[in-house]
Amino acid sequence: MRDPTQILTEPLLALQGVTKRFGSLMAVSDTSLDIMPGEVHCILGENGAGKSTLCNLIFGVHAPDEGEMRFRGEIYRPAGPSDALASGIAMVHQHFSLVHDMTVVDNVILGQQRGLVNTRAWAQRLERLANDYGFALDPYAKIDDLSVGERQRVEIIKCLIREPRLFVLDEPTAVLLPDEITALLAVCRRVSAGGAAVVLVTHKLVEIKKAADRVTVLRGGRVVARSNRPAEEIDALVRAMIQGDVKSLDKSAASTLGVGAPERVRNGPIPSETPTLEAVQIDGLTVIDNQGVTRLDHFTLAIGPGEIVGIAGVEGNGQSELAAALSGMLKPSSGRVFLGKLETTYLSPKELTAAGIGVVPEDRHAVGCVVEMSVAENIFLNRLDDFTSFGFLRRKELLGAARELMSRFDVRAAGPGIAFSALSGGNQQKAVLAREITLPKLTCLLAAQPTRGLDVGAVAAVYGHIRAASQRGSAVLLISSELDELIAVADRIVVLYRGRIMGNCAADPSERERIGALMAGQAQ
Amino acid sequence: MTDAMLSSEKRNRAWLRPSVMISISAVVVAGLLGLFLIFAIGVSVSDALSAFIEGTLGSPYAIAASINRSIAFALVGIGFVIANRANLVNVGGEGQIAVGGIAATAVALYGGVADLPAGLPFMIPLLAALIAGMIWASIAGILKIKVGTNEVISTLLLSFIAVWLLYWCVQSPAILRKPMTSSATLPESLEIPDSTKLPLLTGDYSFPVNVGLPATVIIAIVGGLLLTKSLFGVQLRAVGFNPVAASRAGISYSRMVLLALAVAGALGGLAGGFMLLGDQYVLKDGFSSGYGFDGLVAGLLARGSVVGVIAAALLFGFLRSGGINMEMVAGVPTALVMVIQGLIVVTLAGAAFFIGRRP
Amino acid sequence: MTWELFAVFIGSSVRLAVPLLLAGTGELVSERAGVLNMSIEGMMLTGAFGAAVGAWATGNPAVGLLIGIVAVVPIALLQALLSNTLRANQIVTGIGINILVLGATTLGYREIFGARSREQIPGLAKWSPPLLGDIPVFGEAVFQQVWLLYLGIVIIVLTALVLRYTALGIAIHAAGAEPRAADKSGVSVTRIRYMGVMFAGFMSALAGAFLSIGDIHTFTEGMTRGAGYLAIAAVIFGKWTLTGTVLACLLFGAATALQFQLPTLGVNVPNAFLIMLPYLLALLAVGGLAGRQTAPRALGEAYIRR
Repeated sequence: MRDPTQILTEPLLALQGVTKRFGSLMAVSDTSLDIMPGEVHCILGENGAGKSTLCNLIFGVHAPDEGEMRFRGEIYRPAGPSDALASGIAMVHQHFSLVHDMTVVDNVILGQQRGLVNTRAWAQRLERLANDYGFALDPYAKIDDLSVGERQRVEIIKCLIREPRLFVLDEPTAVLLPDEITALLAVCRRVSAGGAAVVLVTHKLVEIKKAADRVTVLRGGRVVARSNRPAEEIDALVRAMIQGDVKSLDKSAASTLGVGAPERVRNGPIPSETPTLEAVQIDGLTVIDNQGVTRLDHFTLAIGPGEIVGIAGVEGNGQSELAAALSGMLKPSSGRVFLGKLETTYLSPKELTAAGIGVVPEDRHAVGCVVEMSVAENIFLNRLDDFTSFGFLRRKELLGAARELMSRFDVRAAGPGIAFSALSGGNQQKAVLAREITLPKLTCLLAAQPTRGLDVGAVAAVYGHIRAASQRGSAVLLISSELDELIAVADRIVVLYRGRIMGNCAADPSERERIGALMAGQAQ
Repeated sequence: MTDAMLSSEKRNRAWLRPSVMISISAVVVAGLLGLFLIFAIGVSVSDALSAFIEGTLGSPYAIAASINRSIAFALVGIGFVIANRANLVNVGGEGQIAVGGIAATAVALYGGVADLPAGLPFMIPLLAALIAGMIWASIAGILKIKVGTNEVISTLLLSFIAVWLLYWCVQSPAILRKPMTSSATLPESLEIPDSTKLPLLTGDYSFPVNVGLPATVIIAIVGGLLLTKSLFGVQLRAVGFNPVAASRAGISYSRMVLLALAVAGALGGLAGGFMLLGDQYVLKDGFSSGYGFDGLVAGLLARGSVVGVIAAALLFGFLRSGGINMEMVAGVPTALVMVIQGLIVVTLAGAAFFIGRRP
Repeated sequence: MTWELFAVFIGSSVRLAVPLLLAGTGELVSERAGVLNMSIEGMMLTGAFGAAVGAWATGNPAVGLLIGIVAVVPIALLQALLSNTLRANQIVTGIGINILVLGATTLGYREIFGARSREQIPGLAKWSPPLLGDIPVFGEAVFQQVWLLYLGIVIIVLTALVLRYTALGIAIHAAGAEPRAADKSGVSVTRIRYMGVMFAGFMSALAGAFLSIGDIHTFTEGMTRGAGYLAIAAVIFGKWTLTGTVLACLLFGAATALQFQLPTLGVNVPNAFLIMLPYLLALLAVGGLAGRQTAPRALGEAYIRR
């Protein structure tokens, strides 16, 4: 922990009344913050609270509209990341700043020197540093061939090799296994023990308890709480973060925040009238990519009507391929899929929609919507035919129907005619759900990472809609990298590792450790 | 490039206004620069201007010639705008015109259509021109959906190939060159039979506007409705903005890309047919020279609107006629028109930044 | 075919490939940095025009070459400004610049040369490397070339070394593949991309000068005849590698050389087909002959820091 003698020293980085606006949105508003050398300073806040914007201001990606920053007592006005790096500030980004078709060592060299490059010397330096921190890294591996955890290690080494004075990590644990999180927090502690400051951005409380010296809580772009003894004041911090009482929260949503113990919530009984026919039957589904790598290996699963099956696993272990194959976006190499009696293995997305498969895709912006088009067009994107006569769109009717669905699903927007991009992430996701859940006969709902990037209110709404669909008898396949989410929402959990099913588990908090081990590929 | 048209009519119009202003100012600025260039090369500006006006509005014949040019530009431009809605850039208008012209000539001369009943003698060659252009552009479409070839490169290369194909056709007596009676026989086709020539609206050769004009007006109206009111238009936009999300929603990327390019090519081919059957009557090397690019620029200038295409096509039609007369009378090279067009495109491309299309 | 004819064929293939090689190398660097530089055609034409005027006016072809390079600078700056700073559509700006340049050079040519068109312009001297030039049969036919060709080879080799062994090479790769990552690693994406476009302009100027004062010693209107687009096709065919691009350019050069060679061999192929051949090959090349294409990920997209 922090050396008490340092309390009186100058702050390493001081923010004074910093404000950043994007259009009409106040991303960060009149925020003041001191970062002391040698501390691990956590920035806590929900999605959309302004944490990432704050990091981007420190790292020079954005310039503040008002206020000033001082670094080591001097006015600090970075024109870009290169200025931040030159000052000794390094950052691990939420979306890694790695070049995928380059080697590890080339990524580390990038931006560090000029002229001729001695790759061998860099590789040796990199390996030494990695060993020092206790991880193994092959300097000549391509980033594309690394797992998410390994990529993050590259990102971290890339920062550490610059020997930063301030080390910023933006939501670094979202993609990691439990063991990897522990290791990462140890790195943070070690870096701060060396005298540098660490800023750790998170929305998870466990990490605060384990690593934080001080905590600053953001909500709606403002500082709403600070604590010098975070481990003891955790409840107050949570209340500040979500602006409300923990008890008033949707229990599943609360448990995914790490507030209290993970808790399972099921509203109705599982419809168990002798499932003579499974709603969904997947037999030996296999996906081999065009490099010949098996991404999904003989995946077999049956889901009954009204059942919610969770797919757990670290990202990149076949979940995306499973979702793509089931939603008609990828032709499987072998295996079959049935919806009731109907074989759907090779159906097109259009035919799958007609067969009653609703899909909430993992990447909302890339697959779920066309942000440049209107809310109404997006809500009925897969059913525009219903509003067409003689090739012409009945626009009034379309807008009316969209308005109705928007109010049913609480999609908040100025109107159905405005651009989808004007909606917040939560409202966009609710609109996608509205489209997929209201399919005429929804036999199966496939939801991949449905709550990613949403605030706690939207998370609760998404869970509510998923449960409602299951209560109406739809089979639900819920793919998530958040284990707590699966335990809270699913009926049972299947763990994927390197494209294979590692095991079936009950969705119960007591299974947490076993599932974690399975996710890491440790068979029992 | 792809214009962010929002569905609500009100926003649509509000969005268009600054871009219309920008288009008009680009044209004005480029025009002033053109005047300056005329001055710079030492030609009397008033002489040049009077030659220009003489060549555009000086006689019914000049007006008709300008309109006939505009028809070709408009068709290529409308095709460009339609394909562009799907985020495709068809720069192959030149080649599509060329193959359209070749097909129209071949059918008019050797298709045995000359003696068919009313209308058919010119309609069948037009249809052939349309199909030829469609096939030509579809090659780019197929390459795009099968191997992901950038359509800009493929349509450009196809244009070069078509231009040399045209050269081949009129050079080789085995194809379309008229029978060689002496070594002085020009490398061009025979003149097409009278029955296959497009009927003139007035029946008077002093004002030779043909039925291509009403046909183009109808095509423009249909095209405009297609883009703004139809399901097809929405699907084109969806594919243009986000092909993955569109295909997940059941809108086939391949189908839309192929359709969009086929329509653009068909209109280009038709333009070639109109030029040949309505105006030139004889297939010559280089008959399509520059028309495809003018049409492309008209499409760019229009920023997604069919009305804009018509305006730009008329502008270029008159600009070209005037430019030709300026060269003949005042000695100003027609290349000046190209400079003006290039300036317009560059200014517009750069101006998009200032309209603030992206938030 | 005799050895003599074969040697002439090789020599003329290389000679005809040189403008493509130079422009293709420039385009490759620009595309690797993320800018799809469609204006290569216009830049070549500018270089050809500037070099021709310069050589004609000063009587010194080397000065002409220099003037050709200088003439391309504003064009390249315009392209760089539009595609990076103003984030304009790179294809549209490229085509606009090409139309502008075609018009401007034609206008300038008529104004400057006027009635004296077709006038011979002093051209760059030929040079033959020692030893290689003395090989019987092949020596003169293949290696007796304009010195700009040898300079071009040196520049291409240097480019390969820079891309492979320097920090700049890594930065160019990153700027084209993952500009955001490059930016966040402290590399100025804008600067790298400006440099890429400027380099493409420089190489195109050399290519254009080779056409006008290196090869035929005169300027004709629109004399590049789509060579710039062939260079772009060569980059695609070469799968964005320098070796691949060079091979593709040599292939297109050989296809062009056939135009002049086949008739002398008495092979009766329509001339139009032979002129068309390089474009046809290029179309086949970009149409999948090269297999699935892997362009730099951010090619053609302006970078916006967010």
